[in-house]
Amino acid sequence: MIELKNVHKAFGKNTVLKGINLKVNKGEVVVILGPSGSGKTTLLRCINFLESADDGELIIGDTKVDFKNATSKEILAVRRRTAMVFQNYNLFNNMNAIENVMEGLVTGRKMPIGRAREIAKQALDKVGLKDKYEAYPLQLSGGQQQRVGIARAIALNPDVILFDEPTSALDPELVGEVLSVMQAVAKEGITMIVVTHEMSFAMDIAQHIIFMADGNIVEEGSPKDIFTNPKEKRTKQFLERILPRWNYSI
Amino acid sequence: MGSLFDIRLVFEYFPLIFSRFPITLLIVVVAIGAGLVLGLFIALVRMRKVLLLNQFAILYVSFVRGTPIIVQLFIIYYGFPLLLEQVGIDITQWEKIYFVLVTYGLNNAAFMSEIIRSAISSVPDGQREAAYSVGLSRWQALRRVILPQAFLNAFPVFGTRVVNTFESTSLAFTLGILDMVGQAQAIGSRTYHELEGYVVLAIIFIAISMILEKLFVHAEKRFIQQRR
Repeated sequence: MIELKNVHKAFGKNTVLKGINLKVNKGEVVVILGPSGSGKTTLLRCINFLESADDGELIIGDTKVDFKNATSKEILAVRRRTAMVFQNYNLFNNMNAIENVMEGLVTGRKMPIGRAREIAKQALDKVGLKDKYEAYPLQLSGGQQQRVGIARAIALNPDVILFDEPTSALDPELVGEVLSVMQAVAKEGITMIVVTHEMSFAMDIAQHIIFMADGNIVEEGSPKDIFTNPKEKRTKQFLERILPRWNYSI
Repeated sequence: MGSLFDIRLVFEYFPLIFSRFPITLLIVVVAIGAGLVLGLFIALVRMRKVLLLNQFAILYVSFVRGTPIIVQLFIIYYGFPLLLEQVGIDITQWEKIYFVLVTYGLNNAAFMSEIIRSAISSVPDGQREAAYSVGLSRWQALRRVILPQAFLNAFPVFGTRVVNTFESTSLAFTLGILDMVGQAQAIGSRTYHELEGYVVLAIIFIAISMILEKLFVHAEKRFIQQRR
């Protein structure tokens, strides 16, 4: 479904991705874990070319792109098969909620406005914002903005939605509403790649966990494998630090 | 001849001078319009660092910003026909107003490019990234997301620019066109009552500048209200 082969990326002398290979099946929810600076976000951003990887290959559906020689046409094609939910929401500040959701459909995909509006309404209803169609980003709370962000992504009906730390910028009491919307999206069978620090989401919702450190995939497997029986030392260290409560149960 | 200053002449000259307002307005509208289009182009060339064009743009902008408009007017008036002659276009029969329009348009393009450039870079990167992520092309992202926000950011400076342009049209008469200032001069030299004409000009310029400023403040408030 989505496959990354041997992805390399460096910022100047700082090598961030050192040959990543990754395969995500259709309908799968993949969570990428790892300490900060491990390259998770960069990897995610390489998939839709917000960063241009130096080397490697991307296969998405029947589209195959070589990172090194990607043309702007290919990049646009990949972007129209993917969607992204950002850490800082990044809603279009000059548009209200429904216009935000419609933009990719109407301008990007040339869909008639009437149909786009219907799809946008459905998407906003799904994330529980039926009464906020006309609200501008500045009138919404962080949690609501992020839900619009998710609606904007699902409305595009993409092959995959990329979530880049979608709850990291939120007040703690708003995290729940966004996670439950993400859970609902996951249940619909939409392919998701999620970079997050929400361990409960990773444990309960993910089908596959990828643990990254220092630009490499250190370990991957089912949540059960990773959380209860990690094989690599680096993974154990990380989990001990992030799940301190496990120390008490000894 | 009578006194040096005759208030009745102010009233008498007013309609004569104000009747030339459309010419002044034409210069402002063309200058702003051309300035916006050409300025956007220059801004994009500079932001994307297009080879050669970028260097040319830098030179051009610093030339325009570093020389008085009256110098630019005469350089265009005498130089432009020579330049176009090289490519086989004869504009020696052009009316003077066209040279004025070209000068003010080119002049404004340089100033506008700087306004547009800083306005575009004031829009957060995340906005552009979000636009790309929903499948907008570079141009679509610019047109639908970046420019509308940049426009709002630039609006106060843009307003000042329009008022400045309006006031700088007062030098267009030096090429011999009969705008408001040209008319005041002509009347002055015909009647030897120079002062009254300039008083009329002062009143017109101050009134229109104030109206423009008020309009911009009002428009800005409305734009911002819409989104909050």
